[in-house]
Amino acid sequence: MHRSTFLKFAGAALATTLFASTAAVAIDVDAAIPSYQKASGVSGSIKSIGSDTLNNLMTLWAEGFSKEYPNVNIEIEGKGSGTAPPALIAGTSQFGPMSRPMKAGEMDDFERKYGYKPTPMRTAVDALAVFVHKDSPVKCLSLAQLDAIFSKTRKRGAKADAKTWGDVGVTGEMAAMPISMYGRNSASGTYGYFKEVAMEDGDYKDSVKEQPGSSAVVQSIASDKGAIGYSGVGYKTADVKTVPISAKEGGTCYDATSDNAYAGNYPITRFLYVYLNKNPKQALDPVRAEFIKFVLSKQGQQGVIKDGFFPVPAKVALDDRKAFGLN
Amino acid sequence: MEIAAAVASGAVAQNARTYHRVTDLRARGEPFTWVLGGALCLGIVMIVGFLLLVLWNGFLTFVPRPVAVVTTTAGKVSAGEVARTDTFRPAPDALAKLAPDAQEKIKKAEGFAGRTLYRIGNFDLYSEDFRWIDDNEIKSTEYPKNIVYVERQEWGPFIGTVKAITLDGKPAEGTDFSAPAVASAYSEALARGKRVREIERDEIGNVNHEVERARLAVRKAELKSGRDSQAYKDAAAHFEQLSVDSRGEYERLTAEVQRLRSINDKFTVTFAEIGGREKTVPMVNIVRAYMPNDLSFAQKVGVYFSRWGEFLISEPREANTEGGVFPAIFGTLAMTLLMVIAVAPFGVMTALYLREYAKQGRLVAFVRISVNNLAGVPSIVYGVFGLGFFAYVIGGSIDQLFYPERLPNPTFGTGGLLWASLTLALLTVPVVIVATEEALAAVPRSMREGSLACGASKWQTIRNIVMPRALPGVMTGIILAMARGAGEVAPLMLVGVVKLAPELPIDGHFPYVHLERSFMHLGFHIFDVGFQSRNSEAGKPMVFVTTVLLITLVAVMNAAAIIIRNRLKRRFVGSQF
Repeated sequence: MHRSTFLKFAGAALATTLFASTAAVAIDVDAAIPSYQKASGVSGSIKSIGSDTLNNLMTLWAEGFSKEYPNVNIEIEGKGSGTAPPALIAGTSQFGPMSRPMKAGEMDDFERKYGYKPTPMRTAVDALAVFVHKDSPVKCLSLAQLDAIFSKTRKRGAKADAKTWGDVGVTGEMAAMPISMYGRNSASGTYGYFKEVAMEDGDYKDSVKEQPGSSAVVQSIASDKGAIGYSGVGYKTADVKTVPISAKEGGTCYDATSDNAYAGNYPITRFLYVYLNKNPKQALDPVRAEFIKFVLSKQGQQGVIKDGFFPVPAKVALDDRKAFGLN
Repeated sequence: MEIAAAVASGAVAQNARTYHRVTDLRARGEPFTWVLGGALCLGIVMIVGFLLLVLWNGFLTFVPRPVAVVTTTAGKVSAGEVARTDTFRPAPDALAKLAPDAQEKIKKAEGFAGRTLYRIGNFDLYSEDFRWIDDNEIKSTEYPKNIVYVERQEWGPFIGTVKAITLDGKPAEGTDFSAPAVASAYSEALARGKRVREIERDEIGNVNHEVERARLAVRKAELKSGRDSQAYKDAAAHFEQLSVDSRGEYERLTAEVQRLRSINDKFTVTFAEIGGREKTVPMVNIVRAYMPNDLSFAQKVGVYFSRWGEFLISEPREANTEGGVFPAIFGTLAMTLLMVIAVAPFGVMTALYLREYAKQGRLVAFVRISVNNLAGVPSIVYGVFGLGFFAYVIGGSIDQLFYPERLPNPTFGTGGLLWASLTLALLTVPVVIVATEEALAAVPRSMREGSLACGASKWQTIRNIVMPRALPGVMTGIILAMARGAGEVAPLMLVGVVKLAPELPIDGHFPYVHLERSFMHLGFHIFDVGFQSRNSEAGKPMVFVTTVLLITLVAVMNAAAIIIRNRLKRRFVGSQF
């Protein structure tokens, strides 16, 4: 469902202009996203608890925001998307960054306490990248092959379990090498999203090595030639490479680039969300309103690029500003 | 004859050896000397090795390195610092594409080839900041003198050449960064930038702070005496008045900031990366720029120390991967000192009661065993306890009682400096208790009896005779506690340490010391930069530097405590019987 909403937002014009560019050229923020205008009388404190994927991004926004308002006291904690809803419900945080949409159960818990649902803000686009070691000869994997590598239930219908690289079509000296899988811990939204989209909600194998952070996944892969793992594309380093992914067996493989993400070709693309507790009957307090405006402004979206993710299209940014009653 | 002699001498030798083994090895415990000495050596080698590794990497991080311009056989040009090198086995298909002589070379090396990781910077233009280049693809490597290495406030380093300099909107002559006109314009731009920060942080900050306080006063009056009360109306009127008053002040300050910023926008430097693409950077955003291939030794030393200076006294930038760690140093120190203030009296009092007053029996023995066992509880358990008990129960009640106007935003009801210090105090209290008890036990019984016989009361004896002599031992306990506390990270993550909290717990606003604030910690900073940052490659050197800093900090704190202890020892050495 979330992928279909995603496709809807990928403006055709935007996609074509982006297709013309090559991956080496730096991504730029959609020109229709307005620049941030400073407001007066903003002070107070912001506390954000949630996703680890969004941790650096929140920090970058906080740095930019405190440049505009040096007296706003900002604290950021990121231990996984699963920690965002409880903190929002308990009122210990105002912002709940999540790398996956909130589950129905979490929504209900929130609604039971406040009488309304939390409001999401789509802050960035992430192609959830599948990384392998930089010397790995893997050229392309299908979702079914990924499922066979990571899942013990194989809901995507792969016939056999993939234990060695030879099982997913690698030839040469690496064919006999066992696949060593790295993933995130279960509090992570990345873990949840990968499970939902790549594995159709199947179960992870017990042999997947769970890492406490996205960067830890990438570092583990960097030192293990037979490794494969997933995390936000923003965490890519020179020691790993992304594997192009095809949605169907034998289909075209698309790499985790901004063009493929916007066009919806890359099959595990997602939005990165920040959830807020907004009472529909009241206007937002100035600090939170300005922070949202900042995130969905040109400056905020440049922060997204700086962190290696992709900025949202202008339509998404403007729609979400409207959802919070901001222009 | 000969044989007989040999046999005889052999027998003698055998006898001598047997004799030797019996008296020397077994009786003198020679093997144990070797085993124990060996264990000590192993320990020392490991500690020294670890320290050398950390210090070597830490102290080399800030050394300015030359920038190589590498042209590959395919014609691709990259400029960057060498980060590290590596050997690998090229894939057969990649190998087949190489030039014949390169193939020959790899074959000779049994299929292994070398490659080098360059830090190419310019993340805003390239979308990558490190690049591997295979050694056998390199056509030429040069070190041009005109390459500049620019550290920027944003986007990380830029590597390229200076294309043009604009001063006050007009192009300046030449591209020499050290020309007097450029240098003075740069320092003026920095001064303006500093002034902007001052206005924003202090002056606008004060205005905002006043307004926020007035707003909270309104809320407080509303909670206390309702919306119809006179107190509420007064507070609301005051708030309205203040908001109107402050708006004028605010606009004046913002206009000044705007003016300074627009002046600064006219002073820019345009750089070109090695492929020719240009990037214009306002002077005020340049932290440091130097020509890495044209540095004298003195200039290198200058860059090195200016980097250390920035690291020690400035705030982090770019999600903690650049800039300094001052808030983390401050947070670590403040937390450790607060912890000592909490743990020392508590631990000493407990030990005094256990050793001097309590009747030694089963109950006391049980308490003692429990205290010793506390030292073995995993530290994260203390973190959970601190969060549940200090932050949620005590902090939550404090918020209900004293800060109801700020709810639902917690004040003390979440992790903070105070709760972190108290949690660590709990964690380290067994160390202090045990050390103090040992020290008290070491004071000779005769001294106590002498004091009592002279008519001193029990408390007088403890205060004047026992405690002074036990103090050095107590200090040892506190030193051990401090060392353990300063290096602990796991429980802190639950009770108040955060990734970014540039606001120090001390500032110019009443009540000046804000123990409820979250804080940064060097130990957590190491974890964060090493395992949580976007580019772990760029973060690695920072991990070593921060580790060096944390080790130094702990060593300095311990040294201070040891000096105090030695003074105390000297004071009482003359008065001993």
